[in-house]
Amino acid sequence: MDGLSEPEERTWDLQQRVRVIAGKEVVFDDEGFLWRPEDWTEEVGRMLASETGMEGLDDDQWRVIRFLREYYAYHGRAPMNRDLKAGLGMSLMDLEALFPGGIRKGARRIAGLPNPRSCT
Amino acid sequence: MHVNDMPAGPVYLDNAATTFPKPVSVLEKAMETYRRIGVSPGRGGYDLAAEAEEFVRETRRKAARFFGSSAPDRVIFTGNATDALNIAIQGMLHPGDHVVSTRLEHNSVLRPLYHLRQKRIIEYDLVPFDGKGFVDPADIIAAIRPDTKLVVVTHASNVLGTVQPIREIGRRCAEHGVPLLVDAAQSAGAVPIDVDGWQVAALAFTGHKSMLAPTGIGGIVLAGQTEDIEPSRFGGTGIDSASPVHTRDFPYRLEAGTLNLLGIIGLSGSLDYLGEAGIEAVHAREMELVTKLRDGLSLITGIDLYCAEDLSDHVALLTANVRGMDPHDVGAILDADFNIAVRTGVHCAPLVHESLDTSPGGSVRFSVGPFNTGSDIDLTLEAMKEIARHGGKG
Repeated sequence: MDGLSEPEERTWDLQQRVRVIAGKEVVFDDEGFLWRPEDWTEEVGRMLASETGMEGLDDDQWRVIRFLREYYAYHGRAPMNRDLKAGLGMSLMDLEALFPGGIRKGARRIAGLPNPRSCT
Repeated sequence: MHVNDMPAGPVYLDNAATTFPKPVSVLEKAMETYRRIGVSPGRGGYDLAAEAEEFVRETRRKAARFFGSSAPDRVIFTGNATDALNIAIQGMLHPGDHVVSTRLEHNSVLRPLYHLRQKRIIEYDLVPFDGKGFVDPADIIAAIRPDTKLVVVTHASNVLGTVQPIREIGRRCAEHGVPLLVDAAQSAGAVPIDVDGWQVAALAFTGHKSMLAPTGIGGIVLAGQTEDIEPSRFGGTGIDSASPVHTRDFPYRLEAGTLNLLGIIGLSGSLDYLGEAGIEAVHAREMELVTKLRDGLSLITGIDLYCAEDLSDHVALLTANVRGMDPHDVGAILDADFNIAVRTGVHCAPLVHESLDTSPGGSVRFSVGPFNTGSDIDLTLEAMKEIARHGGKG
């Protein structure tokens, strides 16, 4: 009858997971987003991409990742939807198609931006 | 509704979070009244403070009538429904009590209950909902134990939109002598509510959703016979100021500090507005649009709709997913590419999504308000067709 004891631990679990990438410890959250965006390196990005089934990152994908990194570094936050569209010069539908994981779990996660936890 | 109240802008389908826009007439009247009487209600011996207090008292009377309560002095003003639920849950429970609630609840109920359980103050059980999104009153009654001191049920699910049989639940709880606390965040202003007739002990509402009031104002409507509720915050009430003890008198027992007068004035205006428009008429029109949306979405290949086969006991929202796509991405695409605002994720109701098997990503929620039009629905359906066609990477 009590539906909380086990499921709540899945839904509300914010635990960190540490992995070693290129000899360096990198902390991820339970959805595989970097805990500290500053831990991101191209090596980390390539590894995250390979885990979503991508054999490598092409020029278009690197352009998206660099835009996200630079925007985050300058503004201290991820771009809003309209900034992403304008900055990349592509529709978000096309952006979604560019990464097997889509925008959030693909582009954003591979770029090492924090997990957008708002109302999720 | 008043077409001249509508601004140009995006197609806004996140009315279950906050209705937008607000009726211009409500906002203008609120500003005019606040400019005239915006002082501390009930504090001070001058006439303006008395006038503000009388305005607050009159709004309590209006709200009591609106919610079918005969006890206006037990309309407690709070910041929102979450605030109201926290005050009610913490005020109505004692160490060792057991609570029955449901898996349909919002975190505004789940988290206070969880907090009290983690502190080893209470225990609780949550009853499931069926495949159509409804809780069976018999399941609630079956979960009642000798030490059950409260049943908490949402009136309308903020994820599924299903309106729960509160009248039946209230009757059966009353037979068992267990008070019923209703979360009316999604239903207040959308469907008629009868606190006295439904034997509800306490009802939590917010102003900023279907009641069309500004954010920052909500309340508890306590039944006349509800006495066993303790304050969880203490302070100035404007009465008995020399005493170190917070007053036991309602409504002040559960109110501390200066009230949100501008919010109360806004709520008063929105109650008038809804009274003139008629909530049944507003709801019927919204449901026409939701039905059109449901019918359109159900024809699109690759879209899953949840608990929307029968919309007869429903508020004006739908939840859906595009197969193969993260709902957050669908929401971002709707926003940036189509200028349509929706809500994505688990909507602060994680157990609903676990039951639907839509965790952890959740879903896309479309919620209609009084200022949406048929054209908004047409644009949304066109957008969803395009997104679904593209879904699964084309």
